[in-house]
Amino acid sequence: MGLPLSYSLRNVGARRGRTLMTAGVVALVVVACSLFLGLISSLKRTLVSTGDARNIVVMRKGSDNDGSSQLTLEAYQAIRFFDGIARDAQDQPLASPELVVQPFFRTREGGRENVLVRGVEPVALAVHDNVRIVEGRMLTPSSGEAIVGRGVVGRYAGASLGDDLEFGRARWHVVGIFDADGSSFESEVWVDVRELANDAKRPFPYSGVRIRVARPEQLEPLIRRIDADPRFALEAERETEYYAKQSESANTLYVLVVGIAVLAGIGAGFGAANTMYAAVQARTAEIGTLRALGFSRGAILTSFQVEALAVAAIGFVLGALCSLALSACLRRLLGGIGFGAATFTVNVITLRVSAADLLFALLLALVIGTAGGFGPAWRAARLRPIEALRKA
Amino acid sequence: MKYAGLVLANLGRNKLRTALTGGAIMLAVLLVCVLLTMPAGLDAFLNNIASNTRISVHNKAGLVYAMPYAFTRKVRQIDGVAAACAFVWFGGAFEEAGRVTFPNFAVEADQVGAVYPDYDVPAQQLADFQRYRDGAIVGRATMRRYGWKIGDRITLRSTVWPVNLDFRIVGEIPNDRSPLLWMNRDYLDEALKAQGRPAGLGIAGIVWVRAADPERVNAIMRTVDDLSRNSDSETASETEKSFFSNFFGSLKGFIAIILLVTGLVALCIVFIAANTASMGVRERAGELAILKAIGFGRRLVFATLLAEATVLSSVAGLAGVVSTIGITKVLHVFAGWNASLGPLGAFIVTSSVIVEGIFLSLFVGMLAGVVPAFGAARKPVVATLHEVF
Repeated sequence: MGLPLSYSLRNVGARRGRTLMTAGVVALVVVACSLFLGLISSLKRTLVSTGDARNIVVMRKGSDNDGSSQLTLEAYQAIRFFDGIARDAQDQPLASPELVVQPFFRTREGGRENVLVRGVEPVALAVHDNVRIVEGRMLTPSSGEAIVGRGVVGRYAGASLGDDLEFGRARWHVVGIFDADGSSFESEVWVDVRELANDAKRPFPYSGVRIRVARPEQLEPLIRRIDADPRFALEAERETEYYAKQSESANTLYVLVVGIAVLAGIGAGFGAANTMYAAVQARTAEIGTLRALGFSRGAILTSFQVEALAVAAIGFVLGALCSLALSACLRRLLGGIGFGAATFTVNVITLRVSAADLLFALLLALVIGTAGGFGPAWRAARLRPIEALRKA
Repeated sequence: MKYAGLVLANLGRNKLRTALTGGAIMLAVLLVCVLLTMPAGLDAFLNNIASNTRISVHNKAGLVYAMPYAFTRKVRQIDGVAAACAFVWFGGAFEEAGRVTFPNFAVEADQVGAVYPDYDVPAQQLADFQRYRDGAIVGRATMRRYGWKIGDRITLRSTVWPVNLDFRIVGEIPNDRSPLLWMNRDYLDEALKAQGRPAGLGIAGIVWVRAADPERVNAIMRTVDDLSRNSDSETASETEKSFFSNFFGSLKGFIAIILLVTGLVALCIVFIAANTASMGVRERAGELAILKAIGFGRRLVFATLLAEATVLSSVAGLAGVVSTIGITKVLHVFAGWNASLGPLGAFIVTSSVIVEGIFLSLFVGMLAGVVPAFGAARKPVVATLHEVF
């Protein structure tokens, strides 16, 4: 026969101070771990969500990102008429030639950061159709205009609608603000591709071409054809793969954070074990009585284990609430959090603790409860009824 | 001192609890220290690596807006400049890694040694670097990571220039933390010409300048920027320290989060230690009452209890600090150079990290012990004895 659940739960409430203290430790571990994980997963999410499964990236063979690639006008003219490229209503191919440059921007606080500036043609909005102008309008080519991503607004001097941004060798008038479903495009500034090439005095007009394919099955043949073309030494890959590779540097961080979380979890498990041992010690007589009444060892083991898990669960709930509140505060306080990207530019991350991060924290809390509770529960179950009663 | 026995005996009374608490505190101090090594790595980098006589000259618009190579010569002729060397980012990826895993630059072989005398590259190796066009000087961190030694040949595939180059390693920057690789600028220049770029390299990304005298740094920076004024590539000069703190400035938000998490973990230690101290006091209530009944003063009772908490947490904290040193050694091997972390990923245990760790555990032990010890010391003897018996 098992002990009723209420026995375990009421015991949790019996020593409030101690329970709260232990739950507090678990809660702090939950907060620390979910905040950290949230940061890393926000970074990954931002990068991974940037690629579109229907797009391919064309760059110079050997370069690993936009910022270091170069492409000639002839190459662009040739590949834009390859088979398999989607076309717009005017029957123009959806191939967007782009130039990436990383100039300095002044932050509002007077610091300096490299921002990814992408030179584009109007077709870019059709190829990257998750990019939508939410305020103002699209830039007009050759008129010194720029549109800025949502993450950039307010972070840099002049990065707001109607203002003048100073970067490169010129001033650029901000005519629009765009959003891009939280992807890293939101950390970019877009200007006219020819103006940017002139400003940066680039020997090559483009750094790459982004292509929207007409049908998914044409993606692989198109990539193969571009790779095999002997004239230009180009390399094509899926846009999703390109950004997945950029997010690889976040993987090291992920391992690091999980390691930290596990260590903190072990520490909290020690704390929980302490509390539970004390509980077993204090209730020795009670356990003896229960055993004498005929409750089995298994029942007592389960009951103490449930008690430990309940403490961990309280800790998790407290911690999860705190971490959601804290991340909201940090979002407001810090705005976006800057992260270096493979292009040596800043990726502005919006910190969000996701359900997956909380799930990991929950698992950690439950493991803390189970591992911390097992030793004491085992000791309680092994108590001999007669000795336990005598001690009392 | 004569009560040390009492304190130690009390700690040994419930060995399991002492061990669990000690373990928890140790782990927490370890975490705090490891987390603190990240911002400390940045500080150490700015304070130790950056020299107060070195100046970075680069295009005002950004590091990718290069300067004409010829500008280097003009800079070199400025009064007070001891040496100047043009750097160009090569972005070489070591084949086995497949991506850029350490920073590598094309430099002027005859100048670089004079700009970085503090890097202590042996004169013979610098001479070899000038003699062999395909020579490379590599930081010890990268040498160790890939098991290279002087004399080895390696191939780097550039992600920036359309060339793959073979190098022979002719020297080492004898610094355990240096990931750098320097190659000969002329070598890259020729390779580019052979690739059908008659102009060759032609540019300088950054010109690193060493001033003969720290007093003249400001004057040199002004002269350089005046020289380039109204040209196609106006420059912005800054000290090495300012250059790197700007370069890593975007990490501020990340550092804020690290410090926040560190604070949370530190708070954890207080909770764990306080919990244990209160358990100990509660269990020994009767005993403490007897001690007081036979004439031990309140202050003494308070002091022994406080000492107990402090001894436990500082011993555990010390163990945590020691294991930090061990764990960062492991992290060095597996983390390597990370472009998005910069020096935060160096995990350098500076002496300030150690001091902070020790102080944290001392302070936390006292804080955690104070409330229960004060309660126990203040409680009237009769009341306690009454409760217990």
